[in-house]
Amino acid sequence: MNRHPSPGLLRRLVDEPAGVTDADRAHVAGCTGCLTEVAAAADDARAVRLALATPADAVDADAAWDRLSAALPDPLPAGRTAAARPSLRRGRAHRAGGVRRPLTAAVAFAAVLSVAGVAAANDWLPVFRTEQVAPVAFDSADLVALPDLSAYGTVEVTGDGDLHQAADPAAAAEETGLDVPAVAELPGGVVGEPTVQVGGQVSAVFTFSADLAAEAGAAAPPAGLDGSRVRLVAGPGVAQVWTSASGVPALVVATAVAPSADSSGAPFTTLRDYLLSLPGLPDDLAAQLRTFTADGTTLPLPVPTDLADSSPAEVDGTPATVLESRDRSMAAVVWVQDGVVTAVAGSLGADEVLAVARGLR
Amino acid sequence: MDLVVAGHPTPAAPGPVAVASAGARRRDRPAVADRDHRAVRGDLEQVFRRHYGTVVAVAARVLGGRSEAEDVAQEVFLSFGRSAVPAAEAGGWLSVAAAHTALNHLRSSRRRSDREAAVATGAPADVPDVADDVVTREGHAHVRAALAALPRTQAVALVLRHSGLSYADVAEALDLSPGSVGTTLRRAEAALRKELHP
Repeated sequence: MNRHPSPGLLRRLVDEPAGVTDADRAHVAGCTGCLTEVAAAADDARAVRLALATPADAVDADAAWDRLSAALPDPLPAGRTAAARPSLRRGRAHRAGGVRRPLTAAVAFAAVLSVAGVAAANDWLPVFRTEQVAPVAFDSADLVALPDLSAYGTVEVTGDGDLHQAADPAAAAEETGLDVPAVAELPGGVVGEPTVQVGGQVSAVFTFSADLAAEAGAAAPPAGLDGSRVRLVAGPGVAQVWTSASGVPALVVATAVAPSADSSGAPFTTLRDYLLSLPGLPDDLAAQLRTFTADGTTLPLPVPTDLADSSPAEVDGTPATVLESRDRSMAAVVWVQDGVVTAVAGSLGADEVLAVARGLR
Repeated sequence: MDLVVAGHPTPAAPGPVAVASAGARRRDRPAVADRDHRAVRGDLEQVFRRHYGTVVAVAARVLGGRSEAEDVAQEVFLSFGRSAVPAAEAGGWLSVAAAHTALNHLRSSRRRSDREAAVATGAPADVPDVADDVVTREGHAHVRAALAALPRTQAVALVLRHSGLSYADVAEALDLSPGSVGTTLRRAEAALRKELHP
């Protein structure tokens, strides 16, 4: 593509690169003029973000709710009476006073600011965003041989996913911003309402270290890679779980923001080739990964060939991957659409999970 | 961040705009004067506790101070309490309403400040200024003035995006095409940047 992307699109590349097409990103990567404009947009965005930033003071929601309640017409919201509220409020206010930690809030704010500053500094280039999944076959014995990245650099994980239960799909949708799909018709043997699990966003920053890699027996990272960083972001996500009488999940419908990665300057191919050269990765698996991730948009889905089969399918026109255990006791279908990965799995047949997947609304 | 409401349509722009206008008219009256006989939605407290911090943060981003941002939040939740906005769309609706209402406060404060300056000096009220009660950080007074002077769509898009809404959410909230959000944002940031480093 030779046409320059619009200034608005270049602005979006600064902080929402997943919304920019591959063609546009490819153009920008090789266009000095566009890179200059992206840098200027990032610079302006960072300056404005700092100018508009406000101290991360904890708000006193209890006092504010009291104030709002006084301005509301009676009757009070359902389930609350005027007589009952004061004691409730006192209890909350007491607890709120005990848990407010301005220092913690200030530190968290500084951390967020510094991360935001780094992100806007245009030294992070998007290298990977999930648009599809593709199975990569490997033997389950290879699991123990897969390289542990912590041997080749430092890994810093932010966010623990904060897995917790939500009241219902609507609450989970509101919390995560995801469209939580509803199952049109439950397969035979699956009954009742699901429990809804919500997980937050998790990110990890991996910093290459030439020294650590040398100690681990790996080839030294190529020039420019030492000290460079890769940031992986995944989630949030929502899982709806229908449990069978035996306690085993009978059906799981999970949806999550698809993983994406960006790096502090290293081109995708440099990162990929180095990662695939690390000791412990079987040659045939590395060869498959090299093929599947050539365009930087495919999430490799490792499938243990001794335990499961994979086959291609389609869900509402989107390519999907069906996984089925060798003993045919479990099946799953996974696909990615608009940056969201969805999986339907359970103690079901492949045709049943596909029927559920195609009936989601 | 729960501000992100991708996939959940926020109300069309006219809703929050109407809220914001009503909020501006009520500004100098005590909140209790807003009592009326319309029913208050039953989930108000739940929505309030979930989103209060976010609404204050959006308003504070516009106003530069926490105190007046909390006043704005009261107005926004009063309006929400009487609305029929679906609970699933509350987050987006409240953020947009907070941005509009806070911008209304900013502009009305500026007008009042200009009038007061004109009375005090006898000079025409054409000198950009910001009321003391709006700006708590002196160094950012010119940023607030520039924010108030931006076209409304640009200002709201800027505030919402910097409050964490996705491009898709901003587009939906402001009835823009997703492609034009970046352009709107870019223009707004360039204009503000000039004020920061003229």
